[in-house]
Amino acid sequence: MKLKQTLAVGLAAVLGIAACSAPAASQAPATSAAQSAAPTTATSTAPEARTLTVWLMNGSAGDDLIKQLNDEFTAAHPGVTVKYEVQQWNGIVSRLNGALAAPEPPDVVETGNTQTANYAAAGALMDLTDKRADLGGGTSADGTSADEAWLGGLNDSSIWDGKLYAVPFYAGNRIVIYNKDQFSAAGIDPASITSKAALIDAAKKLQAKNKSVADYSGLYIPGQNWYALMSFIEDHGGHIAVNEGGTWKGTLEAPEAQAGIQDYVDYFKAGSTGPADNDEANPEQATVMAAGKAGMMIANLWELGYTESKDAAIKGKLAVFAIPSSTSGKKAPVFLGGSNLGIAAGSKNQDLAVDWVKLLTGEKYQKLMIAAGNVPNSKNLAATATSENANLAVAAGAAAAGSFVTPQDPRWASVESGANPLKDMLTKVLTGKASIADAAKAADDEIGTRMNVAQ
Amino acid sequence: MVEGQAETGIGPAIVTPRRGGAPAHGRSAVARARRLFHYLPLLPSLFAFLVLLGYPVLLAVVISFQRMGLRELVQRTTVWIGFQNYASILADPTFWAVAIRTLAFTAFNVALTMILGTLVALLLGALGRWMRLALSISLILAWATPALTASVIFQWLFDSKFGVVNWALTSVGIFGDYTNHSWFATGLSTFAVISLLIAWQAIPFVAFSLRAGILSVPSEQYEAARVDGATDRAIFRRITVPSLLPLFMILTFLSAIWDFKVFTQIWTVRQGGPAGETVTLAIYAYLKGIAGAQYGLASAVAVVMVVLLALVLIPYIRTMLRTQEDL
Repeated sequence: MKLKQTLAVGLAAVLGIAACSAPAASQAPATSAAQSAAPTTATSTAPEARTLTVWLMNGSAGDDLIKQLNDEFTAAHPGVTVKYEVQQWNGIVSRLNGALAAPEPPDVVETGNTQTANYAAAGALMDLTDKRADLGGGTSADGTSADEAWLGGLNDSSIWDGKLYAVPFYAGNRIVIYNKDQFSAAGIDPASITSKAALIDAAKKLQAKNKSVADYSGLYIPGQNWYALMSFIEDHGGHIAVNEGGTWKGTLEAPEAQAGIQDYVDYFKAGSTGPADNDEANPEQATVMAAGKAGMMIANLWELGYTESKDAAIKGKLAVFAIPSSTSGKKAPVFLGGSNLGIAAGSKNQDLAVDWVKLLTGEKYQKLMIAAGNVPNSKNLAATATSENANLAVAAGAAAAGSFVTPQDPRWASVESGANPLKDMLTKVLTGKASIADAAKAADDEIGTRMNVAQ
Repeated sequence: MVEGQAETGIGPAIVTPRRGGAPAHGRSAVARARRLFHYLPLLPSLFAFLVLLGYPVLLAVVISFQRMGLRELVQRTTVWIGFQNYASILADPTFWAVAIRTLAFTAFNVALTMILGTLVALLLGALGRWMRLALSISLILAWATPALTASVIFQWLFDSKFGVVNWALTSVGIFGDYTNHSWFATGLSTFAVISLLIAWQAIPFVAFSLRAGILSVPSEQYEAARVDGATDRAIFRRITVPSLLPLFMILTFLSAIWDFKVFTQIWTVRQGGPAGETVTLAIYAYLKGIAGAQYGLASAVAVVMVVLLALVLIPYIRTMLRTQEDL
């Protein structure tokens, strides 16, 4: 019937017009210059009820620390409630992609230093260049240099296209956490582990001594700990990827990188009962360690406190030493990890967010972060921290001996999200499905595809 | 009694005017209004359908002609690139491998579900009352379990170290030693577990539908066949199948659509692993779109998925309609 047909066509037309114009219909988030910090609520007559949404990552800041901080913040800002959520690392890139593009994004987000460029380049974070001094980043002519304030690596990862988009939060690198009791029972001196051979030897000794313990690993290493793999690769002088005149090329096929992969295989085959097809979070290696089923594990320093929180029996029994190089007497270079705090460009509470970030990255709370085993964001504090905390000194010493970061490009974040080709490569080699050379080639191809997506 | 006929019962009826005064043919405004009125109850569901399903589908098609990454999404800019997304997908050898894998996976699952579903439907008919009740309850429980929960449970069942399956197979003995056997080491093995999981949850629907269909076949046909001395197999082939053919075809059609776009089970079990060997088109779209933030490309993949499914199913629908006409 004609009426029906007309109705149907009209409906389709209306939907079509709406669909075509929808992406451009709403305004783009205003430039951050227009949304610079508004006066605090101190001048308003009645405090309006506002909510500040904060997303921090699992393992970054302890619940007690955040509670104390939030109490202080809400006391200084009457009428404001802080909605604090802890996010998991697994799948966070996809999660933040969607969240930061939403009309009401979380106001403060913690981004890993390898992922900050991704959001900064997309315009999802607020431009903080003119607030650098206020936030404790020191002063500099162009607003981009660390200027004796923030740690170099973290500072660089917060800058994109000459502007500051995030505030360094904390840094960390991996070391070997070991069980002191099991070491003395097996007669191993941690100071003697200064080479790959010594580490494997220690793992086997622990294995032999703890044969009665079910599912025991001298060195617990799961099949997909790609952060540890990067250390071994860099140890031989290899890299994950290099930028050749604007095109990224995976370099896992190079003999140096393959030697690093072989190191990983050797460590895994020294008796680890970790899953060949999963990473250090499935199961959480801290749980394995806390149950006494591992003599050593390669982990971040914050995992030491985390392990102790899992089982009171393990308290005080853990200590650390640096990951040894394959060359005797040297330390393996470590991946300089860390996080930055960004403020969403589309946030409606940017003034509150700036205050909150300033509080957490300020001296008072950075000192509490040190106590929890994190390297603080400023050079001064980092120097004093290592003199107070022996474990932190070991970690810092390892970083000082040699450190590296992942390729500095917004597209690196897509390599880490979804299916990680480095993890796939490791599993293929460890389950015997492919040779190191073939698996490395496949990983290189995938990295090249993802990192050369047109921007 | 014909409308308008007087209730006299003697001889040919005298035609009296219709009640309500409306003319017999529907050309008047009143008749048309009455006809439109019948569509009113449809409006709420039509509205929900258009808003929740129609608009996103339209949007997906529109986005497939744009380059939309995180930057375009955050800054709300529109960059039209015509058919470039489609060109890059169709030129990508990985896409074709994934497409063929998806079709094969779908075909296998549909066959498995339909065959086992039919057998269970026949079983329901052959069981005694209490066993039938017990079977029905377990079928419903399997059907009602959320796909995510079922996926997690199956992962535990097939875990290499602590899974029940490995322990059971090793205990029975005839299959050899399955201790620490990894079910998720190869793509084929992982698919086997996923297929089992999908079939386990899909069989109840097929079984109950077919059972309802079987019950609607007049029992005289069965009795007559038995009197003639027909075997069970012959009864199934000559009576059950022809009567149920339309139902079979519809269930196969639905299973094909559902199995083609399965996401939850495959993603939960191994996220398309190991090493991308269980990536189907739905997972491929997710990896490119949500994980890789290439929303335009992923939308194009989604459109191609629909086109592919339509191409595969149109000949099937034609056969289905033709069969119905013959009947």
